Parts: sequence; C-alpha cells; structure tokens
Amino acid sequence: MKIKLTSVMVNNQDKALKFYTEILGFVKKTEIPMGEYKWLTVVSKEEQDGVELVLEPMGFPPARIYQKALFEAGIPLTAFNVDDIQKEYERLEKLGVVFSMKPTNMGAAILAVFDDTCGNNIQIVQV
Amino acid sequence: MNNQTNTSAKPKEAQSCTTAMSFYHKQIIKIKEDIYPKDYLYKQIVQAKFFIDTHFANDINLNHMAGETFFSKFHFLRLFKTIYGRTPYQYLTMVRIEKAKRLLQTNIPVTEVCFSVGFDSASSFTGLFKKITGSTPSGFLNNQKKQTPSMAKAPLKYMPGCFSATNI
Repeated sequence: MKIKLTSVMVNNQDKALKFYTEILGFVKKTEIPMGEYKWLTVVSKEEQDGVELVLEPMGFPPARIYQKALFEAGIPLTAFNVDDIQKEYERLEKLGVVFSMKPTNMGAAILAVFDDTCGNNIQIVQV
Repeated sequence: MNNQTNTSAKPKEAQSCTTAMSFYHKQIIKIKEDIYPKDYLYKQIVQAKFFIDTHFANDINLNHMAGETFFSKFHFLRLFKTIYGRTPYQYLTMVRIEKAKRLLQTNIPVTEVCFSVGFDSASSFTGLFKKITGSTPSGFLNNQKKQTPSMAKAPLKYMPGCFSATNI
C-alpha cells in the first residue's frame, strides 16, 4: 500500500487549477475529462514525481457543510511545506492572496493560513 | 491625561484584533502558550537543525550539535526531541538517507553514496536505509530502474484513479 494522492475539495475545478498553478506555482500532472467533472491533479514543481494533489469536485452536497464549517473556523484543510515562509507570504500577498493567519511561530515551525478561493483554508509551514 | 488615553486605547485595539482572529488562529496561539512558551529557546534549536542540514556529510556528533545552541548536551537533546518529535541523531539519519536517495538516482555507486552522505560503514548505511525507506539501497535502485521503462510503455497505469480501458 502506498500513499500517492491527497485531495482538496474545490467548488470550481477550472478556477482551482488556475489558482493552484498560476498563484501557488504547482504543475498540472493529469487532466482526464469525466462528464461534468474531471480527474485533475497537480504536483509540486520541485517534486514532480511526488504525492499528487487531487482537485476534487464538490459533487456531494453534505461535503459543502463540512467545508464551510472548516472554512469559517479558519481551520486549514491541508498544509504544504515551504522553505522560506516569510518570502512566500510576501509573494502570495502581492498576488492578492488573503491570509487569515500571518506567519506565526509555533515551537520550531512557522505557520500561516490563506484562502484558496475555492472554499478552503490552506496552511503553509516552514520547519 | 495623555497617559490615560494611551492606556484606554490599547486594550480596545487588542480586543478588535482578537475578534477578527479565526478559531484556528486562537487555538494556535493557545497551544503555543501552553506547549511552546519560550520562543527564544526554539530559535537556538532551529539553529542546530540548520547545522545538521548543512553538515550532515561530516562526522558530526552530539557535542557539535549542542555546541550550536550553547545548551548542555542533555538539555539540547530533550528540547530537540520536544519540538521535532525525534532525537538529533534520528533527524541526522533521516537527512542523510534523503540525500542518499537523491544521489542513488543519479547512478552513483552505493558505497560511494554511503560515504558521501556521512556514514562510515556500508552495513550500517544499508541497515538504516532499509529501516527508513522499506527497501535496501540496491532494492531501491532496482525499483526505480524498473519503473521508468514500464511507465513509458503504459503511462495510464501510473495515473492514479484512471479507469480507462487500456489500464485494465
């Protein structure tokens, strides 16, 4: 058994692809049309054979309630690692990304949380 | 008078800041206060971690690592474990193995990789590599080699969740 994928539920796959590639800087790995939705994954530019992030369509209404509750509480759905969080925070903020938590020290880690514009909070971490 | 307005303005400002804070942000601050109250200590531990990240290929020991922080060895060990969840040696081994994985992929012989990432014996390298990655260095290499041509032949097999006819 291997871990190859993780997913974020997004309310619009096209918008999500734009945000995750153009703003965050990930690279599209797979796009397979499947009727109304598509199988859509992105990977880190630095680790293109690494774990794939599925931009999963919000096709199941109860999931929306879960997503909304997490979002309103400011809880990140998942987290990505960065080498220099201050630099990344400044870069993203310049691109118009909204942060609900600016870089905050937590022991040896520094955390920040931003809105992915597709219904989720995402955390970036520098360890 | 001036002093009074200053003191009354301060808490108000702080309050408006807390109300804008998300539930998560408040939790983070609470956990930080409860578990990691001494920011200055962690900065020194992070410094030691950077030292490991840059000197992993050398023959470094606990004295060198603790020396970076000006703490005693035991204090250093305990703090490192508290904030990283592993001991400095466990962390050093992990850094070395990660580096070794990358070097192995560039066709450098196993023994050469072993010494260039800082291990002094091939058997301890192989043992630790297996313990951490689940396969021996040569097994890891073989898996990598096997995967590349088959990936080129049937790329759909490597597309997780793709149920196209050619995949079955």
